Amino acid sequence: MLQMRGLSRIYRTDTVETTALDAIDLDIASGEFVAIMGPSGCGKSTLLNLMGMLDTPSSGSYVFDGKEVAGLNESRLAEVRKANIGFIFQSFNLVDELSVAENIELALLYHKVGSAERKSRVETVMDRVGIAHRARHRPSQLSGGQQQRVAVARALVAEPKLILADEPTGNLDTNHGEEVMRMLQSLNRSGSTIVMVTHSPAHADYAGRVVNMLDGRVLQERRRAA
Amino acid sequence: MINITGLAIGLAACVLILLYVRYEQSYDDWLPDAERVFQLQTLYEATESGGEEMNLQMSAIVAGRALEKDYPGQVENVVWVRSFSPVILQDGQASVTEDLRMVDGDLFAIFDVPFVRGSAANALPDTHSIALSESEAQRRFGDQDPVGRTLTIVDNNGPVDYRVTGVFEDWPEHSSFSADAVARFDLGAQFADREYALTGWNNQQGWNYVKLRQPADAALINERMPAWEKRNIPDDVGEGGTTNPGDFQDYRLTNIRDIHLGEAQAASVTPGNDRFTVTTFAVIAVLVLGMACVNFTNLATARSSQRAREVALRKVLGASRRQLITQFLGESLLVTAIAMLLALTATELLLPVFNGFLGSDIAVTYFGAGGILLPVIALTLVVGLAAGLYPAFYLSRFEPAQILKANKSAADAGGSGQLRNVLVVGQFAVSIGLIICTAVIYGQTVYARTSDAGYVRDGLLQIENLGYRGVDGRDQQVVEQLRRVPGVEAAARTQIAVDPGGNSVSRVYRTDSMEPIDLGQYSVETGFFDAMGMKLIAGRDFSNAIGRDDSTTPFPIEEAAERAFAERGANVIVTREATRRLGFTSPQEAVGKQLRSELTQSELGLVPITIVGVVEDARFRSLRAPLQPIMYLMRREGFGAIAVRYSGDPARTREAAETVWTRNIPQVPFDGRFADDIVREQYEQEAARSQIFAAFAILAVIIGCLGLFGLAAFTAERRTKEIGIRKVLGARTRDIVQLLVWQFTRPVIIANLIAWPAAWWLMRDWLNNFDARIDLTPVPFLLAGALALIIAVATIAVHAWRVAGTSPVRALRYE
Ligand SMILES: Nc1ncnc2c1ncn2[C@@H]1O[C@H](COP(=O)(O)OP(=O)(O)OP(=O)(O)O)[C@@H](O)[C@H]1O
Ligand SMILES: [Mg+2]
Repeated sequence: MLQMRGLSRIYRTDTVETTALDAIDLDIASGEFVAIMGPSGCGKSTLLNLMGMLDTPSSGSYVFDGKEVAGLNESRLAEVRKANIGFIFQSFNLVDELSVAENIELALLYHKVGSAERKSRVETVMDRVGIAHRARHRPSQLSGGQQQRVAVARALVAEPKLILADEPTGNLDTNHGEEVMRMLQSLNRSGSTIVMVTHSPAHADYAGRVVNMLDGRVLQERRRAA
Repeated sequence: MINITGLAIGLAACVLILLYVRYEQSYDDWLPDAERVFQLQTLYEATESGGEEMNLQMSAIVAGRALEKDYPGQVENVVWVRSFSPVILQDGQASVTEDLRMVDGDLFAIFDVPFVRGSAANALPDTHSIALSESEAQRRFGDQDPVGRTLTIVDNNGPVDYRVTGVFEDWPEHSSFSADAVARFDLGAQFADREYALTGWNNQQGWNYVKLRQPADAALINERMPAWEKRNIPDDVGEGGTTNPGDFQDYRLTNIRDIHLGEAQAASVTPGNDRFTVTTFAVIAVLVLGMACVNFTNLATARSSQRAREVALRKVLGASRRQLITQFLGESLLVTAIAMLLALTATELLLPVFNGFLGSDIAVTYFGAGGILLPVIALTLVVGLAAGLYPAFYLSRFEPAQILKANKSAADAGGSGQLRNVLVVGQFAVSIGLIICTAVIYGQTVYARTSDAGYVRDGLLQIENLGYRGVDGRDQQVVEQLRRVPGVEAAARTQIAVDPGGNSVSRVYRTDSMEPIDLGQYSVETGFFDAMGMKLIAGRDFSNAIGRDDSTTPFPIEEAAERAFAERGANVIVTREATRRLGFTSPQEAVGKQLRSELTQSELGLVPITIVGVVEDARFRSLRAPLQPIMYLMRREGFGAIAVRYSGDPARTREAAETVWTRNIPQVPFDGRFADDIVREQYEQEAARSQIFAAFAILAVIIGCLGLFGLAAFTAERRTKEIGIRKVLGARTRDIVQLLVWQFTRPVIIANLIAWPAAWWLMRDWLNNFDARIDLTPVPFLLAGALALIIAVATIAVHAWRVAGTSPVRALRYE
């Protein structure tokens, strides 16, 4: 599904130059569940942002779905992104002013989807993650686990080929964390490609492959025996 | 920064208007003994025969005399001031003094103005003494001492020498009276041949100024005025029966300080103003200031989310709510004080421009009776408190536990967003309303200048000063020679011309009715209608060949000639409006009809007249005045102006005309102006006011936009995270800009819905002041709405673009 070759990301500020990613080579196939691990500051989030086209690499090549995307401009990236990728964040990133259903609907707003179909797809995913009974609540009225389920639903609703999750369980207690992991696992089983950053070895075990990073490089890859 | 700038602009506007309003209300305050100085005014009621309601500042000579005689205990002094400015000869050279005041008594006993040379007490000791203003003395005598020099005034009865006795300081602009020179003349001698000017109660040729011993006596005298009128005003015996001028005339003593904004504005010495305009400006000032306050409040509450943590921490550290309120109010007062300093600086800088516009001499003084220091401090306090009160209470209300725990702003919840929207709507409603008003007022001003006046304004030169002594019938030669000037197509003398000073009305009766109809009655010579470009719509023009067309009778009056004229009768030409008033169904029907009119002494009865032609109505006066129905008589003398129709170069024509004039009448200065310029001057004040209105509308829009800009900036900032999320979910920059722009467009649309009816209602009222006016079309409304919308969208789009363009990663990182 995606190939990265010599992908680098360098942050330049007035005084310092940080090499967050240093010539990464990474392939991810369709249907995989990949966990990315590594110490804080090693570049995991940066890698995920590049993968999700929220950020552009300093150098290197990134082929997504057979197309080179490294040099595309912002609005072309937005096109590719919205057609293919869903996001889940550690801090949920829900819009406080909107209800649960509206938050999920947001992910369809910028697609060419009619209002009626939008409504029915939102209903479907809410059922699937089990928060249909909270559709009219505001995010601030939900528990952390429930909020993350809304975020997962929002990532799902546009039916992306790739779901990127940056520490989806980071803000959750053990029970809720497990719950979200099981949800991701079932998504993977039904065909979604998932790339997830995590600090928890237990949660990494849900993945079929674990990529270990250190200082902007891939240290080691480990495939779980099927 | 937006806060202070916006507030400073609002305050500057407010201070300027405050100065203006105070200035308008302070007319004649400077005059010593102002509380004892009064003007005797004449108020005419509307009559059944069509006499218009008219409130004159002038009054008959006899009225002042009668008042002095009847109230010896109360009236200290009465002086009559003539409105006619004759030619002055200085060392044989003829010239005109703009505001020469001919008075019949010691005017400086009433107007105790400061003198540079001589003194008020000794300026007008007897007739044939004259005092000059400082500028006039400078103009006429340069740096020499004018006292003791001689000026010759060419009055009706010939040249009379006047001795210069003193020089007074220039009359301040904010006065209902003005004078470049004051000359004491011999009333009895001047009017010896015109007894009626001295005794007629319907004859206003000047102003009566009265000084009372006690200010309070004015109320008493005014109260007794009806009885006094009955006692003093004799009956007029005429054909229509016996009438008494007192029946439709009322007299009133008005204190000099109340003249400028008073009810009586006709025949004023200096242009007056109406309370409505002054009030309107005051209201606009308050609105503009209100908008600035709203901005302040709005931005302060909007920022509250940023200050919520500060408030919470202060509370945790033991600050009481009252301490917090004091703190916030103090901050708001400080900001207001800084803004006020900026505003005062701006005011000082703008004042010369403002004065130039209005032709006023408003000055900023901080201390003393007219000083603005106290009002300014009061204004700062009021604005500081008004703007700070809501944010202070709002901010101090935050519950610390909630804010610290939730780690987010309490301002995100609650109704403050709602309030902000309401305030934005209000601001834009005011801006849009002002834009509409400006457009309508401007449209009407342009219309007034350019509308079809019934005569052709282009290529018309008007030469005045024909009424001066010294012309001595030589105007006849002038016209004849003018007609031979190359480029001149027609020239004719007339009593009525563009922007006439006087009014002449005669009663006309139909043969079958004793019901009088008042028609304007003016003398013209043949060719007048051609020269003016006025269209004849029925019948024929005057002709020199037809004896009955000629209504000239000798002056001074000869009994026999008047009698012959009364028997023979006259042919007249009337206007379309006159035929309507006379009850004819069409102009054609009026032609050939017999009427009777008071055209000679009442003892001789009514003069039979025949309508031989009908011309199109012409508006010589301001559009505010109702269209006057007119009856034109052909005469050979008694004219005030020459209308010259020319083609070709205006300046050259005017020069040629001046040459002709000075060759024939060197004793009287040439006064030739183009009709276009005269009309422009007629509406100068109106134009100045509309420009000031426009300036305030622009100010209001700027303040509104500053507010919107600040709010948009703030909202965009506050919504950074949401915008980031939307972008992650596939929104393009364009989508985000659209979202934000629409959010701020809605209040502007609602503001339109509020502003339109209000402005419509206001402008309909205002336009009703004009007899001829533009239609109130939707165009200015739609334009104002569109303009506000464009400005609002442009304001927000800049921000939205910047925020929407940032990378979503950044937005989400700083969550
Ligand atoms: N916008 C930025 N400007 C400068 N440096 C940055 C920026 N974003 C990230 N970095 C640096 O790049 C490096 C990688 O950051 P990144 O966020 O990818 O780490 P991470 O592995 O996700 O860490 P964590 O586990 O704490 O989330 C860090 O050294 C960080 O300081
Ligand atoms: Mg990270």
